[in-house]
Amino acid sequence: MTSKELLSVTSQIGMMLLENGAEIYRVEDSVVRIAEAYGYKQGERFEIFAIPPTIIITVQNEDGTPLTIQRNTKTRVNNLDRVDRLNNLSRFICSEKPNFATVNNYISQIKKRKTYPFYAVVISYAVIGATFALFFGGGWRESIAGGVIAAIICLIEKAVTKVRPSVFFMSLLCSLFTATAAVLCYYFGLTTEYDSIIIGAAMTLVPGVTITNCMRDFIAGDFIAGLYTLIEALLVATGMAVGAAFAISTLTKLLGI
Amino acid sequence: MNVLNDLVLPALYSFIASIAFGIQFNIRFRHIIAAAVGGVISQVIFNAAELGGSSEALCYFFATCAISVYSEFLARRLHVPVNMYLVVAIIPLVPGKLIYQAMIALINGETQSFADQCTAAFAAAGAIAMGIFAISSIARVFRVVIRKKGI
Repeated sequence: MTSKELLSVTSQIGMMLLENGAEIYRVEDSVVRIAEAYGYKQGERFEIFAIPPTIIITVQNEDGTPLTIQRNTKTRVNNLDRVDRLNNLSRFICSEKPNFATVNNYISQIKKRKTYPFYAVVISYAVIGATFALFFGGGWRESIAGGVIAAIICLIEKAVTKVRPSVFFMSLLCSLFTATAAVLCYYFGLTTEYDSIIIGAAMTLVPGVTITNCMRDFIAGDFIAGLYTLIEALLVATGMAVGAAFAISTLTKLLGI
Repeated sequence: MNVLNDLVLPALYSFIASIAFGIQFNIRFRHIIAAAVGGVISQVIFNAAELGGSSEALCYFFATCAISVYSEFLARRLHVPVNMYLVVAIIPLVPGKLIYQAMIALINGETQSFADQCTAAFAAAGAIAMGIFAISSIARVFRVVIRKKGI
């Protein structure tokens, strides 16, 4: 594999790992191991720098000139199946050292892998809302309300993602909707309380991958990435709290609950 | 003590919700079940620690340690990223109720109650973080040792 081909392969794999919710340690480790499998030792002919929004890879050419590629992540989603597949691919590359065409073929296969259909995701949101409403002390009425609201949250997220909102705005909007709908359910006598509905439906907004990645980044010593993800998680949490607080305080005053 | 309400139902809810989160994170089905078992373990350990008289933060710590060990072990055996199990299992532990009550206290102007709930929520979040920190750090050391020995 030539240095240009190596650059192409490693940047593609690193990018995909970053965009699908892998922690920084995994991105750097996979890429370094692939490079070392082809004889490009880290620190001598190969360097990588990755933070959540950016990845920079430098390879030394056969005649000693450095080649660098920098790529910025556009969208970040949580697709852990893809992370798992890429992980397997990099393990396969390390043991078999396949040629460039083979690796590219595998990468495009991973890109083509199906995700769960949208209706399944909507149902999963509904299930999360319904079970967590029960979990946090609601009855069956609250559970149904939580499920319906959570399903609508999924539709809102899908619709709003197109305009590329900030993470803060997204969680603010969703939590505003959650609290408004829950308080209205209570006001019209559909449920006996609204606390468990709000907590249950809002659990769908909890940035689980971000929080876990944040802690694992800190442990691995990637403090810049850890701070980045920590701030992201805090912003989401703040958005949730502000949205719900605004809706509850306004509506309870307006409706006189 | 009510066995059904205190032990069985939270574990069941946690199991179902974990499966749904697995779909949200696009994890394949056989891994989803394994991850959801992690969600059950977290609730069982949490409630057991609570019955044993541990403080709330300690309950969170024990539960997180348990699922971290479970995830690290399973991930090494099945050669998958640890995150796949850890992320799903940790979500039912998120102290949503404490944060919500803190927010309600804040908008009602109950400063003392707000401070209490906030402290409890931060203690819970810190305990969860410490649980992951402790186990993941130990797992990292093991990984390095295993690689050095070339096993």
